Amino acid sequence: MQKFFARRSQYKTLADRALVELAADDKEAFGELYERYLTKIYNYVYYRTGNRQDAEDLTAKVFQRAMSHISTYVERGLPFQAWLYRIAHNLVANWHRDQGRRKIIALDDFVAHSLQSEAPDRRTEEQEEQKQLMEAVRRLPEERQQLLLLKFIEQLSNVEIGEIMDRTEGAVKSLYHRTLLALREDLQRGEDISAARRLSGSAARRQRK
Amino acid sequence: MDSPADEKAQDFVDNITGALQQGHSLDPLVDLSDGVHEEVVDLVPVIQGLRATLVPVEPSADFAAHLKTQLLENEAGLAARLRKKPARLHVAAILAVFAGFSLLLSRRLFGASSARDITEEPVATAL
Repeated sequence: MQKFFARRSQYKTLADRALVELAADDKEAFGELYERYLTKIYNYVYYRTGNRQDAEDLTAKVFQRAMSHISTYVERGLPFQAWLYRIAHNLVANWHRDQGRRKIIALDDFVAHSLQSEAPDRRTEEQEEQKQLMEAVRRLPEERQQLLLLKFIEQLSNVEIGEIMDRTEGAVKSLYHRTLLALREDLQRGEDISAARRLSGSAARRQRK
Repeated sequence: MDSPADEKAQDFVDNITGALQQGHSLDPLVDLSDGVHEEVVDLVPVIQGLRATLVPVEPSADFAAHLKTQLLENEAGLAARLRKKPARLHVAAILAVFAGFSLLLSRRLFGASSARDITEEPVATAL
């Protein structure tokens, strides 16, 4: 028993590369990798799918796939973390393609989460802005969504993001900049539309009077 | 290929994002925004909005524990578990399987001949 706990505490100090080598034969080593990456992968999948149920299903598939292929994984310039994210990315892409759910992602969960995590006196206006921003993020092309999640949720560096997305650091910076410009444009368009709706609404009310 | 102005804008938004994520003040960076197009400076509220909106979530403890158990127990399937047993247990298992086969074989051979004896006897009597 003592040996078991000593080994487990030893795993905590090991780098991913060493754990991956052990994990081919030792399930406890894989367990340590699981602990390190579960929340990260879950977050990534959650924001790409928009609901907890699918996030759980796909997260489980990511780790099942990683476990069944760990003995064949060789680190050739692609760190374990990047490999895991690529598995997640592929599974999410398949999920969107198979289910055709991309356009009908529920945001209820997101809204519920943001309501829960903020103080009760949080202004409705701010919530509405966040909801609009989230909707704009979901309208972005897949790779841009991926970039934002890796940057803001996972807080990865441009180099790490580049490893996952198979791009150079400069290309990541460039894509990020273009993504922000596209988001701002989308939000402004949304503001213009809602302003137009408000105007047409008040014009209709005047006419009725 | 990005122009030098584009690269400057990219560095600017990247630095602003980094400063926000690390909780640093934006003032020194905004002071350094000379030469960066005003349009780029306008991206700061978008970055702040993203930071406020894209917040980490936690998987449920039940899900995390259940998945871990499922993953690690699947790996330790019957074959994997048997492989890790001591050699004497392997020998015992092989002997048990051999004995089982022998028993089945002997029953089939002797059982069949005795069954034939039983079925043949009434036929002979009837004749």
